Amino acid sequence: MSVALELVDVRKTFGTGVAVERAAFAVEGNEFVSIVGPSGCGKSTLLRMVAGLVAPTSGRITVAGKPVSGPVGNVGMVFQSPVLLPWRTTLANILFVAEVAGRNASSHRERALELIALAGLAGFENAFPHELSGGMQQRAAICRALLMNPPLILMDEPFGALDVMTRERMAFELQKIWAANRNTVLFVTHSITEAVLLSDTIVVMTPRPGCIQDIVKVDLPRPRDVKVLENPRFIALSTRVRNGIGLGTAVETTFVEAPGCAEPYAESRP
Amino acid sequence: MGRIAINGMRKVVPSPMSVSPQRTANALAPVRSLAAVVAFLLAWQFLVPLVNIPDYVLPLPSVIASRFAETFTLQLASLAVTAMTTLAGLAIALVVGVLLALLVVYVEGVKSVIMPFLAAFNSIPKIAIAPLFVIWFGLGAESKILLAFLLALFPIFVNSMTGLGEIEPDILDLARLAGGSRYRVFTMVRLMHATPYIADSLKVAFPLALVGSIVGEFIGGNRGIGQLVLAAQFNLDTPLVFAALLSITLFTTAGIGLITLFERRFLKWRPSQRQR
Repeated sequence: MSVALELVDVRKTFGTGVAVERAAFAVEGNEFVSIVGPSGCGKSTLLRMVAGLVAPTSGRITVAGKPVSGPVGNVGMVFQSPVLLPWRTTLANILFVAEVAGRNASSHRERALELIALAGLAGFENAFPHELSGGMQQRAAICRALLMNPPLILMDEPFGALDVMTRERMAFELQKIWAANRNTVLFVTHSITEAVLLSDTIVVMTPRPGCIQDIVKVDLPRPRDVKVLENPRFIALSTRVRNGIGLGTAVETTFVEAPGCAEPYAESRP
Repeated sequence: MGRIAINGMRKVVPSPMSVSPQRTANALAPVRSLAAVVAFLLAWQFLVPLVNIPDYVLPLPSVIASRFAETFTLQLASLAVTAMTTLAGLAIALVVGVLLALLVVYVEGVKSVIMPFLAAFNSIPKIAIAPLFVIWFGLGAESKILLAFLLALFPIFVNSMTGLGEIEPDILDLARLAGGSRYRVFTMVRLMHATPYIADSLKVAFPLALVGSIVGEFIGGNRGIGQLVLAAQFNLDTPLVFAALLSITLFTTAGIGLITLFERRFLKWRPSQRQR
């Protein structure tokens, strides 16, 4: 199950500061979309607006053809920290999203156990969060987001708090889990490699005010394994994303101020 | 929480090597406490006679114990009266404290209205206004329950406010996006989060409620363990004063013990309850 998603001329200001400027892009169903950009470019704000947790200052966001006006039920969410409930076991934490929505937990138990196996957490169903490593906690959080098979899953730098080695493995595991479900995913990251590895589409943002600089279609075949990292096409796409952020040409160490959004990015869909 | 294993698959089970000395230490802890108490009592029993302190100043443990045994039914009857007013006061404080905290957490603006009153009220020594309660409510159980309630209220209220209110915003967002109702977020997140805070506050509030009851008995009335202490003092029956203090101590220990048992049984996930 998945949905289409559309942002039209979305703008968000906090006081006098502009967080997001004239963001516009469209996503078809079954797509894995990454939003890439440096810290403070409004990626998370954009995600929270899509979730309906924050209202845009102007512009329009539609999910499955309906305008977003508040938190829509049945959206999966993964944050940078796992935010598991410390008094619940792994299994109970995953079932939390069913229970809090007033559904019968026992009828989702089987699905939860499937996800646990898929995420490599078998044997830890009854472990409390403090008994799990950081990577395992985050995998539990991803399982929780997938439990109700929500048509839209939002991930806000889900691997941001993990060490580099765990992070790389988690990216491959996420690809595997996602391939089994194919929900629409909006994935915020500042890792270019992660974005190219996982995505069908990459939305590249520049900092302050955050605006969309480029939209990159990733045409690498799936499933993608470690070897894809050496693929010339992978490298070319990574370079394009890097240039979009404004890092590619900056040889000198001083950070070049992004030129703001001259005009709204008009996406030309194939 | 922030433990990150490079090998994410590793099962986090404490190795026997690193744990066994600590396990032994934990197992020995009650034995050590008991040994210390016994040593203290033995020293009291056998060293105090060397300096000739009379029984009406500091009775020996054996004298206190026999006085306690002689007056056992009287102790029980007095304690029952005090326990009733203490537990009633504590129960009302628990209900009112949690309800007030709920009001503060859920209704915007309430906090700034009720906090000055509560802070001002908390700064008054309740014991100083106890005589007023005798005027208003008489010498019966009511004035004692009220005093116990007032002393126990503040710690329960403050801890409940923290436990119910200070929830990570991310988990609340997640629950909303999952389609969670306010009621279920309350029972499944806020209340669960607050339980250890409330259990902790009860450990403080319970002895305070007991202070309220006993002070109430000191001021007026003719029943309860406080009255027993006063009567014994009036007759210069110091061993009976100590025997009554022993009853109070046993009662408090039993109460705190019950709360601790609850924590061990239901709050295993708390950092303080984890087995290392």
